[in-house]
Amino acid sequence: MDGARRSPLDAAHRRAGAKLVDFGGWEMPLSYPAGTLAEHQACRSAVAVFDVSHLGTVRIQGPEAFASLQSALTNDLGRIGPGQAQYTHLLDEADASVLDDIIVWWVEADRFDVMPNASNTERVVAAIGGADVTAERAVLAVQGPAARRLMEAVAPEAAGTPRFRVGRFQWRGVEITTAGTGYTGEDGVECAVPAEAAEAFWDALVDAGATPAGLGARDTLRLEAGLPLHGHELGPGITPLQAGLGWVVGWDKGDFRGRTPLEAERRRGPNRRLRGLVVEGRQPPRAGYGVRAPGESGQLEGEVTSGNFSPVLGTGIAMAFLPPEVGPGAEVEVDMRGRPAPARVVKMPFVGGRG
Amino acid sequence: MNVPEGRRYTQDHEWALLDDGRVRIGITDYAQDALGDVVFVQLPEPGTEVQAGSAIGEVESTKSVSDVYAPVSGRVVEVNTELSDTPQRLNEDPYGEGWICVIEPTEPGAVEGLMEASAYSELISG
Repeated sequence: MDGARRSPLDAAHRRAGAKLVDFGGWEMPLSYPAGTLAEHQACRSAVAVFDVSHLGTVRIQGPEAFASLQSALTNDLGRIGPGQAQYTHLLDEADASVLDDIIVWWVEADRFDVMPNASNTERVVAAIGGADVTAERAVLAVQGPAARRLMEAVAPEAAGTPRFRVGRFQWRGVEITTAGTGYTGEDGVECAVPAEAAEAFWDALVDAGATPAGLGARDTLRLEAGLPLHGHELGPGITPLQAGLGWVVGWDKGDFRGRTPLEAERRRGPNRRLRGLVVEGRQPPRAGYGVRAPGESGQLEGEVTSGNFSPVLGTGIAMAFLPPEVGPGAEVEVDMRGRPAPARVVKMPFVGGRG
Repeated sequence: MNVPEGRRYTQDHEWALLDDGRVRIGITDYAQDALGDVVFVQLPEPGTEVQAGSAIGEVESTKSVSDVYAPVSGRVVEVNTELSDTPQRLNEDPYGEGWICVIEPTEPGAVEGLMEASAYSELISG
């Protein structure tokens, strides 16, 4: 992994015995000695802490910032205000493919912290400008039903950050920015911590009882929560409408990048839709597996984009692109490397009710 | 990594234990650690004739799929059906309750051709 970027928490992960893996050009923890299933369970039943420093932070400041983001990104910043966060997309202007899915932290009137996926940060900077300040901070996601209770003991100001709100507070002499956001389907907060204080903040969370969790658990958690991952459910050739994320598009605002091709697709209707599948048995469905109509003559209907064993349901679950008319309740089969497994199309999320 | 004496090992990170003329097989501690949490095991059918080196089953973790190979030629005479509901036994006890199947070897001495514990220890430390 020569040349891979490392988180400010790299030393802490190595000390904890983490298995490290390359992700979007970063060397990040896949799991800790507890293992992915235990980390998953900790997040569903108590509280887990994830190092998500590989997400980018692109800072956009000044009087033009609002207008510039309004015309670059799909969602309508007019729906929120300073001190709030919003999920949004950056589209390809030619075909409305999702170039990246992004959380925008509207930190103060003329300052936005835009958080792209690791491998898309440069692309996002090229499209919207701003300063890449990723190297200056770590981002810690504290997630789980007990996340806020645990935060009370470490940083009470962060504990009180409501869902999709953004705040700032002082912690041992540094400024931490926090948002009521996450990627697990659980309640929680994410904290951007100056790099020099990251390890102390991480240690304080772990000492207070948060279970360190890696990318393995992050993936099974977001899958159960029905949340898309760029490169799987979003990416080249995939529009927000195909992914079932029409709510991310602010149709009532003015022009934005990719609006014209997206409007054309909206008029004719998307030719495929992202759906959830619950697969019979424990075998994990995987990205690329074919989905067919049941029976011997089953026609190829689509393809799995992400799948795994659901620790909560005890069965295989997947997201897959299917013809638009194949909706919840439909019975299909997933081709598990030559063995067909019965599956049912369901509404997502698979687990819990939070996005 | 635990590599108990008295068993034979393969390049594919499996162990084989000769017991009363039959060969019990499983994956090594190294293999289970590399795979991470095992969530599904595809077992061979009892009675299947298998060739040394051929894939006879699959072990899947949350992150990847790995084939199980027959270390020796012969016939599958017993499979660990407990793994269907409790695949985590492969992680918890790879050399004991996490065994995968028992093969009646065509050549009784075939297992002698596999690596000894010392050679396998060297393989995984190298």
